[in-house]
Amino acid sequence: MKFKVARLELLEALQAVIGVVERRQTMPILSNVLIQAENDRVKLTATDLELEMVTQFGAAVTQPGSVTIPARKLLDICRGLPDGADISLEQQEQRIKVSSGRSRFTLSGLAANEFPFLDDIGAGTEFDISQKALKRLLDRTQFAMAHQDVRYYLNGLLLAVRQDQIRCVATDGHRLAMCDVSHETGVEELKEVIVPRKAITELLRLLGNSDLNIRISLSDNHLQANLPDVRITTKLIDGRFPDYERVIPSAGDKLAMGDRELVKQALSRTAILSNEKFRGVRLGFEDGKMRLQAQNPDQEEAEDELEIEYQGEPLEIGFNVNYLIDALGAMDSEQFAIELTGSDSSGLLKEVGDDSSRYVVMPMRL
Amino acid sequence: MRKIIHVDMDAFYASVEQRDDPSLAGRPVAVGGNPDGRGVVAAASYEARAFGVHSAMAAARARRLCPNLAFVRPRFDVYRAISAEIRAIFLSYTALVEPLALDEAYLDVTGCEQLQGSATLIARQIKQRIFDQTGLTASAGVSSNKLLAKLASAMNKPDGLTVVPPERIAAVMAELPVSKLPGVGPRTGERLKAMGITDCVELARADADLLRARFGRNGLRLKARAAGRDERLVEPDRPAKSIGAETTFDADQLDPQALLERLSPMADKIAQRLSTRALAAYGVTLKLTYADFRKITRSRRFSRPVARADELRAALPGLLEKTQAGRRPVRLVGMQVGSLVSLSSLTEQPDLFTRGVDELPPDGR
Repeated sequence: MKFKVARLELLEALQAVIGVVERRQTMPILSNVLIQAENDRVKLTATDLELEMVTQFGAAVTQPGSVTIPARKLLDICRGLPDGADISLEQQEQRIKVSSGRSRFTLSGLAANEFPFLDDIGAGTEFDISQKALKRLLDRTQFAMAHQDVRYYLNGLLLAVRQDQIRCVATDGHRLAMCDVSHETGVEELKEVIVPRKAITELLRLLGNSDLNIRISLSDNHLQANLPDVRITTKLIDGRFPDYERVIPSAGDKLAMGDRELVKQALSRTAILSNEKFRGVRLGFEDGKMRLQAQNPDQEEAEDELEIEYQGEPLEIGFNVNYLIDALGAMDSEQFAIELTGSDSSGLLKEVGDDSSRYVVMPMRL
Repeated sequence: MRKIIHVDMDAFYASVEQRDDPSLAGRPVAVGGNPDGRGVVAAASYEARAFGVHSAMAAARARRLCPNLAFVRPRFDVYRAISAEIRAIFLSYTALVEPLALDEAYLDVTGCEQLQGSATLIARQIKQRIFDQTGLTASAGVSSNKLLAKLASAMNKPDGLTVVPPERIAAVMAELPVSKLPGVGPRTGERLKAMGITDCVELARADADLLRARFGRNGLRLKARAAGRDERLVEPDRPAKSIGAETTFDADQLDPQALLERLSPMADKIAQRLSTRALAAYGVTLKLTYADFRKITRSRRFSRPVARADELRAALPGLLEKTQAGRRPVRLVGMQVGSLVSLSSLTEQPDLFTRGVDELPPDGR
């Protein structure tokens, strides 16, 4: 194998797939990226056995072939070379010579035929969605995914595809984020899958705000997303997502509405003196007012007060302030609303005038 | 059937010191307090263990047993850093990692697909990676539950890898004296012996009603353990069981006020540690060692979980009154909080998907 490519091309291709390559590996070949060159195209593949990312770029291929090369080392070499440089890669037995100008690097590769591919995902459900719409769905929900929870089915994001709607739901058991987008998918029967956290993170990293459609394919065990330059294939989490609709509170009798940005700022500054780990902030609602109060184990205290619209009996309720800030940060309306029932019941946050995103937050007992 | 690995670093603190100071390699080493004062051995190298030195032994006594013993001050920052590295290795196989201390952990690799899901291969690779990364050896035990995995890891120390497959369970338990069964302390051991029970086979066969009458529910648990049964799950986020601090006086202390003065900063330290882990305690225990080495503890429970230093401090005078402090000289004083609850656990941060009691359907399920 031998080819020559502009540094920027190779750099961008490596950066697109490097997120899959774990820093600590159990199988040496998983630290490597597979490079396949032929017909003036070069294909890069990286995998962690759960998630596979493939990208391509044009290059002057003088000798077709396939090798695997330590991915991070190659990326660091690309980064370290000057802008505008050309890079040549040439296979010599099990070694790969990387050269550019007067710089020479010899890397040791592993046999390309040992590189593990994910199984062919097989036939299933397919639909198209614009990058922008998918990005919005993920941006508005991904932060609520659990991280290394024993309830492994929470360490991912539920994707529910209907005929005329796509919905994403994420929850770590303490809060839940849900976003819908109306979209003619052509998918007749409801299809629900749980996409692992890492695949969501990588997908989101690559999605732009373009109106161009990308194709999503779903089988029973895999999801594949075909972006313009990258194909992402991930195994799905095999488990049953909890009955999330049950925990979305029906309209509470207490409704507060306020300026999203002002409330977010007040929460952030009050949070400075909350317990660093459990992040409790006490909120007090009464006619036209919201009070905020936090206290840390050193007995330091923060208090604040904001004017908001509030209807209902006065209410005191404690929340993990991060959950509120995450939800408010995911919205973009000027005004937000929170529906409440009592200090032991979950709150429901929404944008005013747009019901497509909903955030459920469990209170804390402070 | 689950696949559980227990990984235990070999003479951890002492091995780290031998690794970092080549002059200690191959020599008997004790990590711990001052042998000229009233220090205690926290860990002993294998060379030192050959002389009968073991952890929790008075440093002065350790030196009498092994005059060439090298004493080294512990460097907990270093141990913690290595422990974190090792933990990262564990987590690359499974999220189900339950650390028991800086130097040992349980792993549940049942759902693990790496290395064809072979727990034995995983354990071998973990040992290798620990050695490659830290230069330290670990012993691993592989079996179908925590109890057997832990017993297995102790079988071929140091640098051992022992697998107890289902067909070997009976043989392993048959060789185990009850005193070595986790959960059997010296006192329970004596009471069992008085009942004519000295090995696990006898304990496993013992009459359940009798055991329950003598030891309560713990008796039934011991019977199950003696048969190699253990249903405990590997719990990744299990909080610490207790947090404590203690100190030995330079000279025996008769003044109760001086005891309280020593305890006061411990309350701050414990409150600090509770706070960083977002825990609170239902129980507090005062611990004294009198000048004649007799140890006593006095405990009380709080009606609600407590995490603040002043609340902990407030409990101390009452506990001290229940001791002979002021009448008998005291050598060591300490306090400990227990029955810990996580502030972010269900009680404080309810879970969306856990049903409240009043929501349970009438059939009680």
